[in-house]
Amino acid sequence: MTHSHTHAAGRRTGTSSRHGGRSAAPVPPQIPERRGPGGRRLLAALLVIGLLASVLPWWLGTPAGSLRSSAATLTAAGRITGLIAGYLLLVQVLMMSRLPVLERWIGGEQIGRWHRDIGATLLVAVLAHLSLIVVGYADLRNHSVLAEVGTLLGDYEDMLSAFVAAGIMIVIGFSSIRAIRRALPYELWHLLHRSSYLVLLLGYGHQFTHGAQLYKPGPVRTGWIALYLLVVAAVLWGRVITPLAFNLRYRLRVADVVAESPDTISIYLTGERLGRLAMLGGQYFRWRFLTPGSWWQSHPFSVSAAANGRWLRLTVKVVGRHTADLRDLEPGTRVFAQGPSGTFTAAHRLRERALLIAGGSGITPIRAMLEELPPGAALIYRARTPADVLLSRELDWLAQERDASIWYVIGSRDDPGPRQLMSPDGLRQLVPDVARRDVYLCGPSGLVELSVRALRGAGVPRRQIHLATFEL
Amino acid sequence: MRRALLAITGLAATTTALVVFKGSPGTTQVAQNLPSAQPVNPSGPAADPSVAPDAPGGDPADGPPTPSATADAPASPKPGRTTARPSGTKTTAKTPTAPKTTKAPQQPTTRRITGPTVDTAADYGYVQVQIVVSGNKIVDAVTLSLPSGGESDIHSGDVSSAYNGSGGEVVKKQSANLNTVSGATATSNAYKTSLRAAIEQAF
Repeated sequence: MTHSHTHAAGRRTGTSSRHGGRSAAPVPPQIPERRGPGGRRLLAALLVIGLLASVLPWWLGTPAGSLRSSAATLTAAGRITGLIAGYLLLVQVLMMSRLPVLERWIGGEQIGRWHRDIGATLLVAVLAHLSLIVVGYADLRNHSVLAEVGTLLGDYEDMLSAFVAAGIMIVIGFSSIRAIRRALPYELWHLLHRSSYLVLLLGYGHQFTHGAQLYKPGPVRTGWIALYLLVVAAVLWGRVITPLAFNLRYRLRVADVVAESPDTISIYLTGERLGRLAMLGGQYFRWRFLTPGSWWQSHPFSVSAAANGRWLRLTVKVVGRHTADLRDLEPGTRVFAQGPSGTFTAAHRLRERALLIAGGSGITPIRAMLEELPPGAALIYRARTPADVLLSRELDWLAQERDASIWYVIGSRDDPGPRQLMSPDGLRQLVPDVARRDVYLCGPSGLVELSVRALRGAGVPRRQIHLATFEL
Repeated sequence: MRRALLAITGLAATTTALVVFKGSPGTTQVAQNLPSAQPVNPSGPAADPSVAPDAPGGDPADGPPTPSATADAPASPKPGRTTARPSGTKTTAKTPTAPKTTKAPQQPTTRRITGPTVDTAADYGYVQVQIVVSGNKIVDAVTLSLPSGGESDIHSGDVSSAYNGSGGEVVKKQSANLNTVSGATATSNAYKTSLRAAIEQAF
């Protein structure tokens, strides 16, 4: 295959953006239909119903008043937490299956937050299940706790693997505590997290050989197995089949790498049938550049221009080894993309007007979204120095085209100008109707936290604040 | 993070609430589960203790889960994981019972006392013991429910063949201080708990 259709081939790092801000779309992008929160609420309700249903067999199978001894009570609590842990583990894996319906209705950012919160709960549930059962059984048999662990490991089938699964889960859980996670290299942390599939596998057996509610053939056991199959199918569909189909269809390749600023690059991609690619401004893909050095890592980056049918562009700040390698991508390099993901889009607006707040390279999804927002949007662009302002020519052009206003706020966060602006009063002065707008925030976490506080102070309801954090 | 804390608190609260709800017997459950003594008319199936091993069949509440009382002990325990079984108790149990059973009909009153349903906690089900008391002697013991299914069948079979029947350990020892059946500790303990309550009720 030749690459004659890729334009600007051969351009290397150091040249300036050739597109200079002109929209490449033959027709201006449409303002997308609004997507209500209905889908998300429905899915959340389904998950809660599932949780109730998973404890129900215990409730129905336990005669009232049968928990007479402390051993029986401890064991009962252990069974409840076990059922909850089993269910939450399946939910956790399902959340990470990247199933298109989940990406569409909940959105990658929200899924990430749910996954974090459920993950903490799951860890506690597993620890509780383990300790309650061990202590309960030990009490029952008048053993010491250690002797009971020995009995469980020695005499009970599948229990060894269950203990291993719990061990892995505990390692995963603790490695995800923010402070510990920051201290670990991302790749190691990611590998650890991948081993949660092992937890699914190793923890499977003991639920059915010893689970009081599951060992007996019947609707409960069948339903539980069906749940497992469903989750495995979702993972296969979301992580294997959908991405394969996407990439076979669009066949993305690097067309060009250009410098936007001394430490920021834009990567242009072309492919086939891009006119049919359904993607919204503000969404992101997980990108895997198929070069010998980096094919094995995939990283999420927002697309920095709305769909135009001809090319995709991602704009990346060089911060680590992987992003540094991206500067040397050869045109023609195959790209394997997973997505699009995210609800940081114009389609998820609740109001007619929007306020966008970007910090530094956080402008990229906002730049793309600006093309699709209804007229009248306002953009506050925070940057430390004028050199940190990216894509300014495009932004100015879009502001004119889409009837938007842009304020560039330059300086350190402690300078009087930015400090005055990033306060409830400052925001209200600049955007008097701020409380009736959707606010989209993307930037360093310090800026995001500061802005959220100021916005809440200025009377913006929490659900109107959209965050583009997809930290996973 | 705040939501995670909320979820964890919810988990703890829900688990506690569920256990507390199930743990406290309501008014209706008391009737079902507390040891109940029912006088048995002499013409009933339990009047003659020699037929007692088959007695569970006479109780309508008792479905399939008694591979137990049928004293065909040597055949029932499958040679599964739990082979080290004191099989001696089963075989020796038969002979010494004969004198006891002959005594029973002379006693004027025969009562059946049902123990409470006890959770085995570790072994997947509930045990409920019923004893037949003649005068002040236990002449028979049967189980109205035992854990069933999978490995539990083996455990339950072992326990019932050791303890139940007019020749079982219950009748021999006349108390709840039974030897624990190895490999079926939980079921044995639940059996003893239910039995103890029934004995307390009876005497």
